[in-house]
Amino acid sequence: MVAALAGDGASYRMLLTALTRHLRGYFSRRLDPAAAEDAVQECLIAIHTHRATYDSAMPFTAWMYGIARYKLLDEFRRVKRRAQVPLDEAPDLFAQDESEAATARRDVNLLLARLPEAKRNLVRQMKLDGDSIAEVAARSGMSETAVKVSVHRAIKSLGDDVRDSNENR
Amino acid sequence: MRTDDLIATLSAELAPTPPGVFWRRVAIGTAGGTLAAALLWLGSMGPRADLAEAVVAWPFWMKFFYTLTIAVTGLWLLSRAGRPGATLMPPVLTLLVPIAAMIALAGLALMEPDADTHRLLMGHTGLWCPFAIALVSLPILAGSFWSLKKLAPTRLTLAGGAAGLFAGSSGAFVYAFYCTESAAPFVAIWYSLGTGLSSIVGALLGKTALRW
Repeated sequence: MVAALAGDGASYRMLLTALTRHLRGYFSRRLDPAAAEDAVQECLIAIHTHRATYDSAMPFTAWMYGIARYKLLDEFRRVKRRAQVPLDEAPDLFAQDESEAATARRDVNLLLARLPEAKRNLVRQMKLDGDSIAEVAARSGMSETAVKVSVHRAIKSLGDDVRDSNENR
Repeated sequence: MRTDDLIATLSAELAPTPPGVFWRRVAIGTAGGTLAAALLWLGSMGPRADLAEAVVAWPFWMKFFYTLTIAVTGLWLLSRAGRPGATLMPPVLTLLVPIAAMIALAGLALMEPDADTHRLLMGHTGLWCPFAIALVSLPILAGSFWSLKKLAPTRLTLAGGAAGLFAGSSGAFVYAFYCTESAAPFVAIWYSLGTGLSSIVGALLGKTALRW
């Protein structure tokens, strides 16, 4: 940024490119995708036109996120004026945090790794991919009853594992 | 427009930014406003008739330094409010020094054995004084807002309040050349209220007027 203030276009370009990544992360966590990309551009323009307010003695990130925060509030203010969402779409507004789902997926994969491979595939097909017993049985060459029992046992043993490790904690 | 193209355009049109730009913008608005206020007020009302005698007495300098220290701190606060991400705590804490000193002076004057409390507090122009100060400070407030709009205030109410604080205290500074009151309690109450009034006006206006 210091080089950019001195008029060095090449370093300025590198800086803006790097900033775009940060800003995209910042805005996409808080806005829907189209609005987020608009906000990133708005923010880049604001950084450009107000670059004289950066003081090289100050941390750059604080300055940059100060502007980003302002642009975010700006966007919220704009949205608030037409913020009427039909009730049917309301869940979309709230179901934005996917980190919990990601953690759960990771946990499930860790648990499944404890099972022998044959059983693991059965459980994955039936419980995660949602295949029917008949399909799974046909694919694995086992009888439907054998599949049912095998999956049931696998789930039960995993459940016992989890319970044990919780009690040992 | 794609973001990459935008970056290319912005970096192509980049011109060097001279280091003094920030403070020049601060100075033009605030100094311009203060000058306008001084010319308008002292031009129409004139300085107090006994100014030559008053400048050798300490009450004049008390008002002079009280308003000046707050104005300088207000200017510091304003410049920080115009920089995204800057902390406002140091100027706000500094503000307590002149205020505490003024309250101490006022307390001393009121505790003297033969103090005429009513005269010390109300003077001849109490009640009217804060509104006069707020009035004098209006051009300064306008100039400060001009400066802030050229910067990048991110907390608009706070920035407006900082502009109002600077405008009110510089307005009081100008007003002190006209005002003939000399009691410390008077200054502590009415000058501070005038400055506070201007700060509130600035904060209320700032929320909408300072958007960029």
